[in-house]
Amino acid sequence: MSLILDHVSYTYPGTAHGLHDVSIDVKRGELVAVIGPSGSGKSTLLKLVSGLSTGHSGRIALGGEDLSGKPVHQRELGMVFQSYALFPHLSVLDNVAYGLKLRKVATAERRRRAQELLETVGLGSYAASAVTQLSGGQQQRVALARALAIDPKALLLDEPLAALDAGIRGHLRDQIRQLQQRFGATTLLVTHDQEEALTMADRVAVLKDGRLLQLATPRDIYTRPATRAVAEFVGLSTLLPGRVSAPDRVDVGFAELKTATGARPVGQPVIALIRPEHMQPDPAPDALNRFAGEAGQQRYLGSVVRYDFLVPGAPHRFLAESPVPAVAAVGIAPEHIHLLDE
Amino acid sequence: MVRGVSLVYGIYLLLPIVLLLVGSVGQSWTNSLLPSGLTGQWYVDLWQDGSFRRAFVNSLTVAGATCVIDLLLAVPLAYSLYHGARRRGSLAARIVSVMPVAVPTITLGFGYMIVFNTDLMPWLGSMPLLIAAHVIHTLPYLTHTLLADLRHLQPEKLEQAAATLGASGWQQFAGVVLPNLRHSMVSGLVMVAAISVGEFNLSNLLVSFQNRTYPVVLLQAFYGATGFACAATVILLLLACASALISSRAFRHA
Repeated sequence: MSLILDHVSYTYPGTAHGLHDVSIDVKRGELVAVIGPSGSGKSTLLKLVSGLSTGHSGRIALGGEDLSGKPVHQRELGMVFQSYALFPHLSVLDNVAYGLKLRKVATAERRRRAQELLETVGLGSYAASAVTQLSGGQQQRVALARALAIDPKALLLDEPLAALDAGIRGHLRDQIRQLQQRFGATTLLVTHDQEEALTMADRVAVLKDGRLLQLATPRDIYTRPATRAVAEFVGLSTLLPGRVSAPDRVDVGFAELKTATGARPVGQPVIALIRPEHMQPDPAPDALNRFAGEAGQQRYLGSVVRYDFLVPGAPHRFLAESPVPAVAAVGIAPEHIHLLDE
Repeated sequence: MVRGVSLVYGIYLLLPIVLLLVGSVGQSWTNSLLPSGLTGQWYVDLWQDGSFRRAFVNSLTVAGATCVIDLLLAVPLAYSLYHGARRRGSLAARIVSVMPVAVPTITLGFGYMIVFNTDLMPWLGSMPLLIAAHVIHTLPYLTHTLLADLRHLQPEKLEQAAATLGASGWQQFAGVVLPNLRHSMVSGLVMVAAISVGEFNLSNLLVSFQNRTYPVVLLQAFYGATGFACAATVILLLLACASALISSRAFRHA
């Protein structure tokens, strides 16, 4: 079912914090990741959808039905928490079967379905274990199975991987995505981890200070961020403030960039955004947007080296990535310069 | 140093018990380090003494009733204190947890004697009043134990998870919170039973002759033979241990 947030606002009592006029539509079977720095309102958003917080204005609807009057336990949403929140007094199997028991599914049937879901998440042999015997990653898979067991109308994932080690995180990320697609679950994922959002989501919503900055595919968010805040939050970049000096020319103070300026009038202030992988090391002497300088600090990342590149006169260092760092110059192809209006 | 202190502590705790055990089977014990002769007569005398037998039953009745009432009161009390304390300071929680230490039982007892010896409330000496007094005295111990467990458990995440899975407020409480408090309920009840059985100050001031509890009757024994007094005290010790055991067992089966 589709999940729609339509002009949703919420203010924490006695503060100015909350959400301001946020609209997000999650289509049937789609995974939308909500990212933002802490305090951006992303957790608030999930609480409002789940019903754990109430009192918003605007409309939250699931499958066309307004949720605002429904208490949490009647919303039929599967939720996965950062802290797993498994019931310590129940076995792994009984945790998964808990929602089915509340729905008065007969014992044999609910045990069969719980076991089936455990097999699906790869924990079939742990059915009788105590939840405390499982690792964090295993516990989160049980939590996922428990949420899926009730055949939820939508799945809400609240920082599901934040408490896990990096190695397990990548693996579980793929597994959650596979299961989400297999079950066709309409899913809202809240995370502060941009890599998680970009790799898992069909679309990404970027929140800051309770406002929705951009809702777009991961590729668009990365290559064509709507604002400076989005560009700074997602991925690394070099940002060069300047103004349009002539059609397809941007003056950034220490140089003039050649790039498409579109319909922007001469004199309009812009910020040029360049992702580090688009800094071409030591281009041909006649290449466009060629900057002479020298490499600064280097960080070896395996497949590439991320390094600072110091250009005389530039307000700050360029950030570049390539298998071999530049020695004397970097070049930026005009199509890889994205202009932000600000 | 630590070992030395614990050794001295252990001696002061265990030596009287050992001496009581020895004394309870000694034939005569006057002006000597240890009693002379070996006998089981004191226990037989105790068994044949009607007032001790009645006191034994009274003590168990009071302790049992106290445990049940405490449990019914402490669980909702601790739960609401836990949620209230997170919202508005923890003054109420602190009052409840320090009360048993701060208010001497003799103060409570004298107060009750005055209040319940009036024409309006002439209940002094009645069994319900004694049980009520024991409940007042022991309730904070159980509440405090449950409260500590709740703070450790932090049940709100579990309640939220249960809610999203379809559990109503009551189902969250009964199906998730309560089962996770079972260990602290047992240990709290063991403490309540032990305190109730051994309680002397309140009981001595509040009971009628018919309703005397075991410790109150026991005091009489010390005016008689040493061996008899020792045997009666050993029985009290067993009674306390037994009621603690029974309260935990009864709870586990419930």
